[in-house]
Amino acid sequence: MQLVRRGSAAAFEVVYDRHADAAFSLAYRICGQRSLAEDVVQEACLSLWRSGARYDRSRGSVRTWLLGIVHNRAIDALRRRTVRDRGLVNREGIAERLPAPERTDVEAARRDEAREVRDALDQLPEEQSRVIELAYFGGLTHAQIASMLQTPVGTVKGRMRLGLAKMRMALGDPAEAVP
Amino acid sequence: MSGDGSRLDKEACGANAAPYVLGALTDAESDAFRRHLETCAVCREEVAALQVVAAALPAAAPQVRAPNELKRRVISAVRDARRDRASEGRRATRRPSLPALRPRQALAGLAAAAIVALAVIAFVPGGGGSVRIVRAEVHAPRASAVLRLSGARGDLEIAGMPQTPPGRVYEVWLKGAGAPRPTNVLFTVSSRGEATVGVPGSLASVKDVLVTSEPRGGSQVPTREPVIVARVS
Repeated sequence: MQLVRRGSAAAFEVVYDRHADAAFSLAYRICGQRSLAEDVVQEACLSLWRSGARYDRSRGSVRTWLLGIVHNRAIDALRRRTVRDRGLVNREGIAERLPAPERTDVEAARRDEAREVRDALDQLPEEQSRVIELAYFGGLTHAQIASMLQTPVGTVKGRMRLGLAKMRMALGDPAEAVP
Repeated sequence: MSGDGSRLDKEACGANAAPYVLGALTDAESDAFRRHLETCAVCREEVAALQVVAAALPAAAPQVRAPNELKRRVISAVRDARRDRASEGRRATRRPSLPALRPRQALAGLAAAAIVALAVIAFVPGGGGSVRIVRAEVHAPRASAVLRLSGARGDLEIAGMPQTPPGRVYEVWLKGAGAPRPTNVLFTVSSRGEATVGVPGSLASVKDVLVTSEPRGGSQVPTREPVIVARVS
């Protein structure tokens, strides 16, 4: 990342190769549309390139930082499509299946970690996993979720907290599981 | 939490850590909660505990391969940005102050806009064609915006813009000979007031790229005066 900060495009390419699949997977899950997910990842990568000097290793890995940018951009993209292109967004899952990549050892390890996270999410009571997915992947606010589910806001917040706490117990320290 | 997110009461504060790390608070609520975190060790600890789970959630998305074409686009864009940065550095060294160009006319259909004085500040030769950088007129204290034009495509880079009020977003408009046309680009700025947005479609027949503050979800006609005006031609 030091080389990226100094403006090395070659170093940036290495960073891209390491994290592009995870970034695209997240953007695709949120946006539900391939072209929009590509735009989100491109915007996020350019943002990382331009703001690399502000990267603070003590606050998390490059992967976590990049995925945070991707998440914010994807949610913005999702929200701005709510009026004109609502019909194009498939929030329930992948609209266009892409082939799974060939796996190196590192990728295989990450696939295992991904399975653990998905399992931890799937094992939550449905009402807890649903509010977490609607918020994180659906871009809805707690108030919107409460309205959608006809549930008090306090209950929605409580389910989010309980769900995340249970996932933390199931995963140990997931911060270490996502390099 | 109050309705506008401007304060947090004792009972509500602990309940906001989970929606905060999931991005499920409104912008105003997030800002209020961040201020609250500065003084509440309990909530800081709660956020730290839950944040590690939120950071792992991307792995719950089905993992798919990024398209090869996307890599070509991203790396090409990064190399363009690198050339822009180098060119701007050289230009700043030999010409510290940039000349302002001609005032622009008032916008038709936006008579009260009183937007003037846009300056084309650079033509940057690049391997894939020249990049033209337009400094936009911005109606916000200490804010700035530039439009990077590469061929008929453009990217708007914004810094120092104020956050939109709750329930509102910034919307990009394209103005040619007639009234401004809406785009599907609605955005908010980061906590630092920054945003980089791609202007959709070709700008070949576009005279101005505008940004206004609109209700969440966007508008079909501008409801406010532009806060950013970038003159394309």
